[in-house]
Amino acid sequence: MALHLVVLIKVVPDGKEVFVDPVTFTLNRSMATNIINPADENALEAALQIKDKMDAKITVMTMAPPFAEPFLMECMSRGADEAVLISDRAVAGSDTYPTSLTVAAAIRKMGDVDIVFAGEKTSDSSTGHVGPGVAEFIGAELASYSRKVTYEDGYVIAERELENGVEEVRIPTPAVVTILTDSNDPRRATLRKKIDAMKKGIITWSLADINIPADWVGLRSSPTVVKKMLPFPRKDRKAEKIEKDKIPELIDNLVKAGVIKLEAE
Amino acid sequence: MSEFDAIVVGGGPAGSSAAMRLASAGHNVLLVEKADPPGSKNVSGGVLWGNDLEAVIPDWQKTAPVERYVKAKGVGFLTKESNIGLEFRSGLFDKNRAGHMVLRAKLDQWLVKKAKDMGAMVATGVTVDRVAFDKGKAIGVEQDGDIITSDCVILAEGANPRVAIDSGLREPLNDKDVAIGVKEVIKLSEKTVNERFNLRDKEGFAGEYVLGFLPDQVEAGGFLYTNKDTISAGVVISMKHLRENDRTYSFDIIEQFLEHPAIAPLVDGGSVEEYSAHMVQEGGIERVPKLYGNGYMIAGDAAGFSFSNGLVLQGMNYAIASGIAAADTFIEAKKGSGVSEESLAGYRKRLLDSYVLKDLYNFRGIDEVTWGRLPHRAMPNALEHIMKGLFIEQGVPKKHLYQLMTEALGESGIRTSEAVLEGYRMLRRM
Ligand SMILES: Cc1cc2nc3c(=O)[nH]c(=O)nc-3n(C[C@H](O)[C@H](O)[C@H](O)COP(=O)(O)OP(=O)(O)OC[C@H]3O[C@@H](n4cnc5c(N)ncnc54)[C@H](O)[C@@H]3O)c2cc1C
Repeated sequence: MALHLVVLIKVVPDGKEVFVDPVTFTLNRSMATNIINPADENALEAALQIKDKMDAKITVMTMAPPFAEPFLMECMSRGADEAVLISDRAVAGSDTYPTSLTVAAAIRKMGDVDIVFAGEKTSDSSTGHVGPGVAEFIGAELASYSRKVTYEDGYVIAERELENGVEEVRIPTPAVVTILTDSNDPRRATLRKKIDAMKKGIITWSLADINIPADWVGLRSSPTVVKKMLPFPRKDRKAEKIEKDKIPELIDNLVKAGVIKLEAE
Repeated sequence: MSEFDAIVVGGGPAGSSAAMRLASAGHNVLLVEKADPPGSKNVSGGVLWGNDLEAVIPDWQKTAPVERYVKAKGVGFLTKESNIGLEFRSGLFDKNRAGHMVLRAKLDQWLVKKAKDMGAMVATGVTVDRVAFDKGKAIGVEQDGDIITSDCVILAEGANPRVAIDSGLREPLNDKDVAIGVKEVIKLSEKTVNERFNLRDKEGFAGEYVLGFLPDQVEAGGFLYTNKDTISAGVVISMKHLRENDRTYSFDIIEQFLEHPAIAPLVDGGSVEEYSAHMVQEGGIERVPKLYGNGYMIAGDAAGFSFSNGLVLQGMNYAIASGIAAADTFIEAKKGSGVSEESLAGYRKRLLDSYVLKDLYNFRGIDEVTWGRLPHRAMPNALEHIMKGLFIEQGVPKKHLYQLMTEALGESGIRTSEAVLEGYRMLRRM
């Protein structure tokens, strides 16, 4: 039987275009265009790489307003088989707790899920909660901080990147893995898959579809309180313009400072 | 059975128009555009001339994202210190709106959306690799190893027609056939634009300039078009000259244009919102490839349909007209004997009957006179000499105009006989 892989994505404002308002200390996103959270693109790619090798079905899922649809389409255009949008007015203002709960309910509804992939964190709030939260709610094993994932006979083998080294874990399915940003090279959409995606369309579920009462979600059921935001003080970088003939000298200095190492060929 | 009746490659004015026409005739059409959103890679100084869009969007003059309409058209010869210009500012333009300033990022997105609304399937963010052939007939397009099939492919991929070249449907471009266009969109305010260019409401100014002051042999034309609260300013530089003078860079030339004493006050204080560079086809009729074959047609810039004579640069109108002609040819072929090389021959006929190929034939060889020392050096210098003689009091006896003109020829920097000959050719060709 085909493996069922679920990839969780979030649409976020492009971090390059978001800044903290120096007066109100709130995030100003008004100038930013939306993108797929970068780590989620890596999560999708990790799932696609498993699908490249064996019979698997990939479902991408996000809990968001309908503006997320084109981004789900983009995931299908890269190779996901179906896309689910959990959209309901009641979820507005939800933090990571009701979000994990809702997403977990949707996964339970699917019934046959083997591996859930999520980005390790989102670029807009960086909590890293949702992947582990979902694992908890569906009662699955978790491999966080993963940079490479393979599947073998009912087990997920994940390379986890830790502060002082790399750890390889082998956990039984159903499992949740959270994938690090930049851990792989996301593939591009193809025309064939784009056409298929447009023909298939997106599956939309409301809270009622996944049996979640409206008062379990939303702002009032979210324990997080953002008290204050502070701009990160910008460090002035040391910049120096170097003429061509000074390059050998520069290399010497970088070697001396321990920034780079020269290896004999 | 093919998956689509037609696949259109490229969502510029040519491709969108073709897709709109096909979709509204009930055909199952796929429009593929590599940019996402559409238009984000397209550059155009921005005057859409003519009314070709009417055929696909009857109310476009009211609903399209147009910035202003051409109320005044200017032509100027720039020397180091002067601008000797001519302006046609006319009430005639109010009744007959000949040209509209547009910003491509907005217009292209709008046109693609229209095509979608009319029923075309639109795939953005993917680049078609090649036209797929089977036994000499185009059977669809190839992308990343997959073939998407259709009865007919319309190539509308613009001035850098990689698909047509890679599919062996046209020759690679020569330096001689292309110019490079560089454009900035400069933000001012609506009020400032109105004041500086003497405009009201939706009125706009479109100016074309010969940059006679450039160093070396570099030849370039400049343009300045008013949008609502921005100015599109740019230069078109002959590729041949760019290569021959490898010290001249396109961004350098646009800077020199914008810093010219006659231009600088017009853009003063503005901030650059957008910067882009793009190819312009200049090859003329000699470089128009075979326009159709069994199962395919080529439209717009990809087919070399653009016109520039130094006074106007047009391409969007030809693109729209040819896109519609291609669609109509397909519609007719489907009604009749089906798609074949013979049935698509109607495309060329339609173009010959319209201004698209008529203009290209009538103005063959125009590039030889629009690029050259006469318009780019001799004329600016000579005109400046005449104006100086007429208007700058030097406390010496006045000269007759005839005398000034003969002198001016001497000042022009090219030999009189050459100037006369070139001038004659120029008048003939233009
Ligand atoms: C600086 C400058 C100023 C100009 N000023 C004017 C002006 O004032 N008035 C005027 O009428 N004309 C002007 N032109 C010319 C005008 O821009 C073109 O003639 C016109 O855009 C041609 O339309 P098109 O649809 O044929 O091609 P394009 O507008 O170039 O559209 C082609 C489209 O195809 C897409 N594409 C390309 N390859 C692929 C592929 N393999 N797969 C999928 N999609 C692909 C491109 O992304 C693009 O969107 C100017 C051009 C330049 C460079």
